[in-house]
Amino acid sequence: MAAQGTSLRKYLLTRLGLVIPMVLILLTIVFLLMRVAPGDPISASLGGHAPQSVINQIKHQLGFDKPLYTQYWDYLSGIARGDFGTTITDHRKLTDIIKVNGAATLELTFFAMLIAVAVGVFVGLVAGRFRDTPLDVGGRLFGIVVYATPVFFLGLMGQLVFGVWLNWLPTSDRASPITQATFQTHTDIFTLDAIIGGQWSALGDIVKHLILPATTLGLATAGIFIRLIRVNVIRTLKDDYIEAARARGITERSVVYHHAFKNALVPVITIVGLNMALLLGGAVLTETTFNWPGIGHALVTYLENRDYTAVQGIIVVFALVVVAVSVLIDFLNAYIDPRIRY
Amino acid sequence: MSRKRTSRRKAFAAGLLAGAVVLAVAASQSFAGGSSHKSAAASGVIVDGTTDTVVNIDPANQYDYGSFTLDLPLFQGLYGFPNGAKLKPVLATGCKASASLKTWTCALRHGVKFADGTPMTSADVKWSFDRVNKIKGDQGIYTLLSNLKNVTVSGQYTVVFHLKTAQSTWPLILSTNAGYVVPKAKYPFNKILPNTSPQVGTGPYQLVKFTPGQQAVLKANPNYWGPKPKNSGIVINYYSKSSTMKLALAKGEIDMAFREFTPTELTSLRKTKGVVVHEGNGVVIRYLVFNVTRPPFDKLAVRQALAYLWPRQTIASRVYHGSVQPLYSMVPAGLPGHIDAFKSAYGASPNVAKAESVLKAAGVTTPVPVDIWWTPSHYGDASADEYTEIQRALNASGLFKVTLKSAEWAQYSGALGKTYGAFQLGWFPDYPDAEDYEVPFFQTGNFTNNGYSNAQMTSLITKEHGAKTIEARLAAIKAIQVLSAKDVSMIPYWQGKMIAVSRSNVHGVDSTLDAAFYMRFWLLSKS
Repeated sequence: MAAQGTSLRKYLLTRLGLVIPMVLILLTIVFLLMRVAPGDPISASLGGHAPQSVINQIKHQLGFDKPLYTQYWDYLSGIARGDFGTTITDHRKLTDIIKVNGAATLELTFFAMLIAVAVGVFVGLVAGRFRDTPLDVGGRLFGIVVYATPVFFLGLMGQLVFGVWLNWLPTSDRASPITQATFQTHTDIFTLDAIIGGQWSALGDIVKHLILPATTLGLATAGIFIRLIRVNVIRTLKDDYIEAARARGITERSVVYHHAFKNALVPVITIVGLNMALLLGGAVLTETTFNWPGIGHALVTYLENRDYTAVQGIIVVFALVVVAVSVLIDFLNAYIDPRIRY
Repeated sequence: MSRKRTSRRKAFAAGLLAGAVVLAVAASQSFAGGSSHKSAAASGVIVDGTTDTVVNIDPANQYDYGSFTLDLPLFQGLYGFPNGAKLKPVLATGCKASASLKTWTCALRHGVKFADGTPMTSADVKWSFDRVNKIKGDQGIYTLLSNLKNVTVSGQYTVVFHLKTAQSTWPLILSTNAGYVVPKAKYPFNKILPNTSPQVGTGPYQLVKFTPGQQAVLKANPNYWGPKPKNSGIVINYYSKSSTMKLALAKGEIDMAFREFTPTELTSLRKTKGVVVHEGNGVVIRYLVFNVTRPPFDKLAVRQALAYLWPRQTIASRVYHGSVQPLYSMVPAGLPGHIDAFKSAYGASPNVAKAESVLKAAGVTTPVPVDIWWTPSHYGDASADEYTEIQRALNASGLFKVTLKSAEWAQYSGALGKTYGAFQLGWFPDYPDAEDYEVPFFQTGNFTNNGYSNAQMTSLITKEHGAKTIEARLAAIKAIQVLSAKDVSMIPYWQGKMIAVSRSNVHGVDSTLDAAFYMRFWLLSKS
């Protein structure tokens, strides 16, 4: 037992240790790609208006004419000191972007994941339980359609149907303009802040604005869960212990929900973690469609303006989130299955 | 063991149920119609949408239109355009120039207070100008003060500007955001105040809240020296896509939108119930730049032939559906001194015969292969259609074989005349005067890097700058336009209207649409 605990600790430490070179490699690739790509943030900002002498002067002020290795070293040493820098184009601290915009993305992806899991599990379970029936066919078709449809198209259709034709839901932003103007934030996660502050009508407005984007992003991810859970349910229902349970006289309902279903869900934990990367990528498109001020939306804007500091910082954050989730999943799997070790 | 598991399950289910009930009740309250937008109507707050972005609110480093629109209600300069396109004293009561036009003495308005209640004095004015030159912000606004030697004060209400060279248009510089006055006590001398710090000016509004990329909230300034705004506040909502903003406007989520819809969206909005499209004189222009040192554009005949063929009318009607007008001079129509120089030189419509004649006389073999560059990511979605139309018209003449090339803005803006022979650009003025449409383009070593240099032009610019009478100045302005049409280092082709779209219960929008290109939110009201 003690040997197993030590082995698990060693596994976890090794996994954590690998994070540092992983992030360093990613940072280096992003750093180089941004500088190799044509254009720079100063020309993007002042080109077409200011004389070249002014552009050169400002580039010099900001150190963009220094050798690449000097710029790289300056950036790395800043990161090591915990200073992620300030964006070049709008002079925001990266930590502020991560806090404010990151909170918006966290809120969106959290609710999207809830919807993805709820829809995916329900439809997958029904499809697996009632295999080769219209319910199964319908469930699979639904899963394929939502998986294959580009997320921004799903979003546009949602805006058209529920926002314009039916006029049930708002089509953009996290809250209506006046709500947002008067809202008191604490964590920048609006739903949480509304509950903390007891701002109930604001909460209603926020939830209303969350429905379309979260459902769009959640549905796009649910397709994977539907297929996975369906396959797992079908496979589990064929297992010997299920036959034994049926032979013992346990009701079919109990067999499915208390025995087969739980075991069918185990691999889903891994997939949920791995889908974080997909979800973050999908969040970029969803945020742009719904004017949701998340970190993905910010990344697109800063990328267009070649804002080196912002792009590098945001991609590092994305990478750290994905890495953290995958390390957590690996740890959980290693905890459950002692065969998983280095 | 099973009893423990059952009670744990019950607790979990109860927690989930409670959470769902909270969200459902809250959502139903909002659905039932305690709409926060209705409270906005009652309170007289106007919600404006825009696709512009804010870079810096601190005027010492502000040089983009999105930041300018936000700064305009918050800050003021010694001069400005408080109503209409006529320059008027604002924080000054007037400025007098010395005979040499190198010294300008300005008397400040008494009784002006900043939004925090502190009085504005000459020390604040000097501080404001000095810090712009000290900071030399990366947005480049300090370049507007390049002719300023220093600022001195005499008492609490007199400021003296000492210039390096004679400049009759110095009051126009005082109207730009480089000349916005900020309190000495609140704004550091050697660095920009971050956007999230409280901003203090003398304007009709004060900034209550700014969330980058999302929203700016302004309320009426209780210490404002001038007439009260016609509304109690403004909320500016920032959108990344105009299509999302259009939806929000059509649904009534916002009251108005200023900058910027595509021509197709504007056409659709004109037919939308409850929405009004307002148009006024604008001063934004589009033009094509030639690198006059790069073949084949180093040949005057080639440039002149292109000028003869340029399809201004079809661009205005077919691509922009009438929201722009053909432009025949780098100086837009409506500004003092404007003349249709290109119309006089090359005609109002494309003329293939004259284009062919000028090429033949110069011994140029046709069709002339040319590359024309444009950018899809800075001047709006219509740029693609615009340049397709240009290509079609030029190829149809049989005199040119046009290859269109494009690059996204970040790459394009760094290349311009250094790499391209003919390229698209647009211009929005620092101040609505002909000078700002001539000096930046026709000086030797201008920002386009197009290699243009003409001693006669340089002399005319100097003459205009130091003209002692309006007549002399206007004469120089006109001469510059005539020479620019002759040299054809650039082809101007459209002038945009100033367009704002509002719900039908918003009033006063038309009163702020003029050549100054100011969105004067304080003139707007809502019924």
